[in-house]
Amino acid sequence: MMITTCSRRKFIGALGAAAGAWLARPGMLLARPAPASRVAVARCHVYDAEVLDTLGKMFDQLGGLEELVRGRTVAIKLNLTGVGTNWLGHLPPEITYWVHPQVIGATVHLLGKAGAHRIRLLESPMVTTEPLEEFMLQANWEPRDFLSAAPRVEFENTNYLGNARKYSRFWVPGGGLMFKGYDLNHSYEDCDVFVSLAKLKEHSTAGITLTMKNCFGITPCTIYGDSAPEDEPSLSPRGGRGPFHAMNRLPPKSAPPPVNPNAYPCDATKDPSGYSVPRVVVDLVAARPVHLAIIDGIQTMTGGEGPWVTGRGHIQPGLLIAGTNCVATDAVGMALMGFDPMADRGTPPFETCDSTLRLAEQLGVGPRDLNQIEVLGTPIAKAKFNFRRA
Amino acid sequence: MDVDSKWVPMKWPCGPLEIARRNKSQSLTADLKATLEAWEQPSTLELLKGTPINCLIVDWANGEPEDSAQPQALKPLLEAGRRLGISFVGQVGAKEGSGAAVGAARAAGLSAVMLEEASAQSSDLPAILPFPREKVAWETASTIFISRENVWPGVNLGTMEGDTAIAGPTGIPWVNSNGWFSLLAGELAPQKTLWLDIDPPKASNVLHPAQYVLAIADSQAYGSRWIISLDDTLRAALLKGSPQAKGIWEKMCGALAFFEDHKEWQAFKSQGILAVISDFRGENAYLSGEVLNLLNRRPVQFQILERSRSLSAPIKGLKAILWLDKEAPSTEQHSQLLAFARHGGLVIASAYWGPPDVKPTKKDPSLRYKMYNVGTGQIAVAEEGFQDPYQVAVDTHLLVSRRNDVVRLYNPEATSCHASFDPGHRKRLVQVLNYSSESADYVTIWLNARVESVRLWQLGTREAVALQGVAAPPGTDFAIPPLSVYCALEFEGSSP
Repeated sequence: MMITTCSRRKFIGALGAAAGAWLARPGMLLARPAPASRVAVARCHVYDAEVLDTLGKMFDQLGGLEELVRGRTVAIKLNLTGVGTNWLGHLPPEITYWVHPQVIGATVHLLGKAGAHRIRLLESPMVTTEPLEEFMLQANWEPRDFLSAAPRVEFENTNYLGNARKYSRFWVPGGGLMFKGYDLNHSYEDCDVFVSLAKLKEHSTAGITLTMKNCFGITPCTIYGDSAPEDEPSLSPRGGRGPFHAMNRLPPKSAPPPVNPNAYPCDATKDPSGYSVPRVVVDLVAARPVHLAIIDGIQTMTGGEGPWVTGRGHIQPGLLIAGTNCVATDAVGMALMGFDPMADRGTPPFETCDSTLRLAEQLGVGPRDLNQIEVLGTPIAKAKFNFRRA
Repeated sequence: MDVDSKWVPMKWPCGPLEIARRNKSQSLTADLKATLEAWEQPSTLELLKGTPINCLIVDWANGEPEDSAQPQALKPLLEAGRRLGISFVGQVGAKEGSGAAVGAARAAGLSAVMLEEASAQSSDLPAILPFPREKVAWETASTIFISRENVWPGVNLGTMEGDTAIAGPTGIPWVNSNGWFSLLAGELAPQKTLWLDIDPPKASNVLHPAQYVLAIADSQAYGSRWIISLDDTLRAALLKGSPQAKGIWEKMCGALAFFEDHKEWQAFKSQGILAVISDFRGENAYLSGEVLNLLNRRPVQFQILERSRSLSAPIKGLKAILWLDKEAPSTEQHSQLLAFARHGGLVIASAYWGPPDVKPTKKDPSLRYKMYNVGTGQIAVAEEGFQDPYQVAVDTHLLVSRRNDVVRLYNPEATSCHASFDPGHRKRLVQVLNYSSESADYVTIWLNARVESVRLWQLGTREAVALQGVAAPPGTDFAIPPLSVYCALEFEGSSP
């Protein structure tokens, strides 16, 4: 099968060309207040200059970025789950399960043009404290391309303490669904604007993984990982976030406690992940609010969140989605994937789990009902790409 | 007559001496005895016809009562073998200290003796000396020498749960390979030939054919030879004409023939922008050996330099040097290393010996190194010295940066690779090995070279096929066809 893909190094050249066109329309940079329930949808078929142009129009539809980011520090949580050496067949991660560097570069560039003071690219690479730039190089990405996309671009691996002396504590409004609060890398506190940049994917545990589930990865495995110590965080992460899935152990005593301590440790014969994972995700987006939610659905995969999931395949929905509310953005994303955002446990894609969207809506994070969401740009009906029939 | 580096050796256990040894170790069954007796018959040499195997290692003397019967029993085999152009090496055990056995070997027409005791050497016959891997006397080793206590290549059986390989901290399965040791031998004994003495693991009654082929490929790809050694079950099955055993044997011989067809690759030099320097001896042997092993597994491509060598010529073209030993460089090396750093190179060491007026900085919170800026380069000093070889290999890869990778493997599973180039710097070669008995179906290899296509060599074929690449700047991706054990990518181009 021929895959239409842009070179992994082309996007900077493309940024230069398209940026000129973007700057030639100064009216589009004027910020307008954006209602929380606005979501922009656009068709975009290739990872080239079209991405920058399309995202620029979408941000404008949302009211522009200036008011949100001018003079501020913006942190972007990328979706780079797993490791870059793990490919879907012979296809690299950026066209299957990682957000594409073209989308990252375009977003960074547009944030910079909108006056962001500092832009920080964040991810918690699996089982390592290595610099995020090295993690990207392993996938043959060139991090210098992001540095040149806007002024003052930084990287940080948030899977451990990183550059800070202590972890930042985030309390969940209302007391939390799983934990009363979470200890995170300082990067999630040391920012004025928080962006979740996700891939349009299903998820083997949570049904879907969009901008909310992307935030599951802001938790450091030095605290929430399989081998975290009992009292204090470890120096480096060992293992994944198994305890969030299995509820088999608590994080170190130094971290905020669970809402229900009696639920730990969970019976090893049960799999509580369909209950626990959506709740942890909702806790996190309530505690660390997302200001800008972006989904890369240009090329992606079906069947799950990465190549390690069975029954998966590469698809090209040709979609970009963006909104200022993560629940509304994910609801539109779900609809575009051919799912009903009002679906609950037992209904696709939540066959074996609770709906993250319902839980988030109940906690007041945002709406999932399409009747309460203004879809801008391409209507859902014209852009829908049914994942289960792909 | 001297030993011949072209010999393709195989163990040929048979005769009264081997039967007595097995009897003593209580491993002798009636079936095995019959096999060992049959194996001394000249007719078994039929197996070798049309194969590259041209040197058989036979028991010769071990200071046992059966010693006297052994030459007589082997006489027909030796005579028949010589008519077929086969050379014989007689193994003389440690208990047989005198030169009498060597003299008898010469009289019987053997080409060389393998001596357990170096002191037993005589001028009668060339000697091949075996060493435990940790104690090779590199300088005094014979032209052909043998290392023992090697690992049987493959996914580490100690990290298997049933059929499942347990991953290491890197998320990739641990594998056993002797590749690093063969590379080390190439540096420390460059004019000599290393034979690896490894018997198939006793735990496995029936070995997968790929495991034998892997034992051949894991040595040849790194410049040494495995002494072919069949397990008892396979030997018996071959005598009985079992189709399965014949299939394994044919695959082994096919692999040997493939590497004989590509003898020129043995002269290729390791490609890497990192040099690892140590004396690789004594107290430094463990750390340096493990670091080489783990760098090779990542797979970081490197060159090995023996610490006593002058550094002027070898460090040209390098980007980084890992100085592993606690011992500081000599005065000459010190100035060469500083010049290397001043011109942009990176030196990684366990102690600082650079200019005294340089204040250290920190590179990254995750790397526990002090960085000293010297000229346009740096000296990176491990804050707590070099302790854990795994951490040294990881840190070295990150300090040098993946930006300088020569090759990368995607969906590597249990595969690894070795990059090299020909002495004329015209050709590059990347050999890829799969250490699992399962096929690796979706490996993509990225080469730091802009080439449209490469020649793909696979075992069992005599012609290469063109493999088209996909541009992945600054290099090229190549989708490897399903990989059973081994393939090689060859292309024109100098090292980057």
